[in-house]
Amino acid sequence: MKTKPTTYRFWNQQQKIAPYLFIAPFYILFVVFMGYPLISSLVMSLYEMRGFQSRIFVGIGNFVDLFRDPIFWKSLRNTAYFAAGTLTLQLPIALLLAILLNSKFVRGKNILRLAFFAPVLVAGVFVAIIFNLVYDQRAGLVNEEFIFFGKEIGWLNEENYVMPAVILTGVWQWAGFNMIYFLAGLQGIRQELYEAAAVDGANWWQAFLHVTLPSLRPVIAFVFVVSMIGSLQLFDLPYILTNGGEPADAGSTIVMYLYKNGFQFMRLGYAATIGWVLFFIIAVISIVQLKLLGIFRDE
Amino acid sequence: MFRLPIDAESFPLGKGPMVMLVLFLVSTLFIFGRSEEAGENLEFWIFANTHYEEYQARVPIFEAQNPGVNVQLINFGNTMHDKLLAAMLSNFGAPDLVEVEITSIGRFLKGAIDEVGFVDLRPRLESEGWMEKLVVSRFTPWSYRGKIFGIPHDLHPVVLLYRDDLFKAAGVEMTEVETWDDFIVAGKKATRDLDGDGEIDQYAIVLDRRTESDYFSLLLQQGGGFFDEEGNVIIDSELAIETLEFFTALFNEHEIATPVYGTWHGDPSNFAAMQDGKILSILSPDWYVGILKSQVPQMSGKWKAIPMPAWHPGGRRTTTRGGTMIGMTTQCTNPDKAWELLKFTYFDRPGLVNRYETTRIIPPLKSAWDAPIFKEPDPYLGGQPLGDLFIELAPDLPPRYQNPYWSEGADLLNDAIFAAVTEKQTPRAALTELAEKVRALIAKDQGRWGEL
Repeated sequence: MKTKPTTYRFWNQQQKIAPYLFIAPFYILFVVFMGYPLISSLVMSLYEMRGFQSRIFVGIGNFVDLFRDPIFWKSLRNTAYFAAGTLTLQLPIALLLAILLNSKFVRGKNILRLAFFAPVLVAGVFVAIIFNLVYDQRAGLVNEEFIFFGKEIGWLNEENYVMPAVILTGVWQWAGFNMIYFLAGLQGIRQELYEAAAVDGANWWQAFLHVTLPSLRPVIAFVFVVSMIGSLQLFDLPYILTNGGEPADAGSTIVMYLYKNGFQFMRLGYAATIGWVLFFIIAVISIVQLKLLGIFRDE
Repeated sequence: MFRLPIDAESFPLGKGPMVMLVLFLVSTLFIFGRSEEAGENLEFWIFANTHYEEYQARVPIFEAQNPGVNVQLINFGNTMHDKLLAAMLSNFGAPDLVEVEITSIGRFLKGAIDEVGFVDLRPRLESEGWMEKLVVSRFTPWSYRGKIFGIPHDLHPVVLLYRDDLFKAAGVEMTEVETWDDFIVAGKKATRDLDGDGEIDQYAIVLDRRTESDYFSLLLQQGGGFFDEEGNVIIDSELAIETLEFFTALFNEHEIATPVYGTWHGDPSNFAAMQDGKILSILSPDWYVGILKSQVPQMSGKWKAIPMPAWHPGGRRTTTRGGTMIGMTTQCTNPDKAWELLKFTYFDRPGLVNRYETTRIIPPLKSAWDAPIFKEPDPYLGGQPLGDLFIELAPDLPPRYQNPYWSEGADLLNDAIFAAVTEKQTPRAALTELAEKVRALIAKDQGRWGEL
């Protein structure tokens, strides 16, 4: 009888342990880089740092302070403003671009797809630097056009223009990215559905309302939720564009306020509290969105 | 014969993953098995490119003078302060020496004074007699509760840079301006609508209303501040309120100031406005002249400088803005050698002359001021010896007291200034509200853990 060599005996046990070994890297990394920091930050939100070496238990004191903090509410309003701008401006533009690029009548689709997608390949920091020049008060591209209306707008210098400037920059950067999702969704809709609608006498708009949109529902839900989460986590773009959220915190967002508290003010407990409040806001909004879009519904 | 319990064929998923695993293990061995270089190592963190370039050129000289010492210079740019904060929080990984920027030092002073992550350098400075050799008021930004946590890299005196040609065209001789009242009279003549379209084409001065930079410079010139030496909040003092009233009046009542174009004085938009002749003067620290030279070299010869106008005849003609310190961290493993490197980079005359050549920064070491370079005519200022002017003003620099709550205070001060200039609040109301907020913040912390 032929026996297996020693080398092979080593692997006899592999069937039992291999699955655990394969999934182990994820769990190890998750525990080290996600699980531990998550729990640690939750604990931290109940404390406040006393310098570098010690901390003091404050219970829900940080949460109470946060809800009374006018800069937090202003940052929340700005963040909501950006999210609303993203949902009402950026996503319709992305859908429109996708429909155009999916139509038979547009030429050079591949080049256009690349052109619209390209901004997302540029790091946020560079986008902010580029748009700093675009919004330049004296010689910027935007004011070069608007100056004819008689006003030299301080896009990054006047309270009311800061968030619109950030939203427009967000549209430039992300509309092409979301367009790709919509395009993939559009290409997955069966042609027969349009043919059947045409047989029933539906015009283009009716076909869009009753065939395209319902078929795109899962994609729309995904893009809405992901865009909403991204909007609520906005940081680098306004931070660089407005040089730290000024004037008068007009460009401040929740994550920017978190950063300031954690790193500039050395109030790590308060920063952790902001992080957890942001987590709950994102979780609630995402669940509501998914519910409204019928993702939990049984088909 | 000895055989490994595995071979390429029997490895799960074949040769590829096995090669990757072997490479991973070997590289891990390299990382963890990396031996320290022989000799004494000093790590020095920097955030400013110009400083990094200066030290990079000079460190080999120090290493040659100190055989066996290896200096590792690391330039982290703007993220350096956050990295330092993390290293101090974790009590691991901080460098031996580090440069810290003036608006960032406050956060490092929070908590008990004995737990601050920097070594008190007062004993070394005093025992070696360095205090007398440096401008004493420049230690205030880096000192707290009697301890000196850093040595000043610079003085950053401020002058008034102005467009001589455009003021003269408006019939104003700026060298005759001695007080801010004189400046307002001159500014009203020079602020003009040149083409008659109802829009002002040139403003006497550009001021930042988004941040505390210009207002706080004026307040320091008056002898005020945000905190006093004992750490009390004094931003609602009559002096501070009067200064903000004056600041807002330059925009709203006298209409001779324009808000900074873009997000700060170094914004390309601001430089464009200067080149268009829209801005006739600016409060400029020494470092800003260096920025102007590098960013708008085409304006060479167009600027001139005078001391800042005084608040009262015979009063202080300068202030200070910005600054950097060098500190030794409590994690430093070789304090004596680190101290030698510190002295070499901050107190060495040839190095300080070289620093002025490249950055226009005036050193705090008084014995370096007689170097010929400071008296040389500066072509950028039409031949005016700018170094001489800065040095003449340096002994009169106002103190700028440091406090752990500076970052929070400055953030709120930005809002108060903007609210006052845009007339949403009166200067008194804005500063009173600000002071109450900061006092409440400090009181809350003290209520939680008592006096520190």
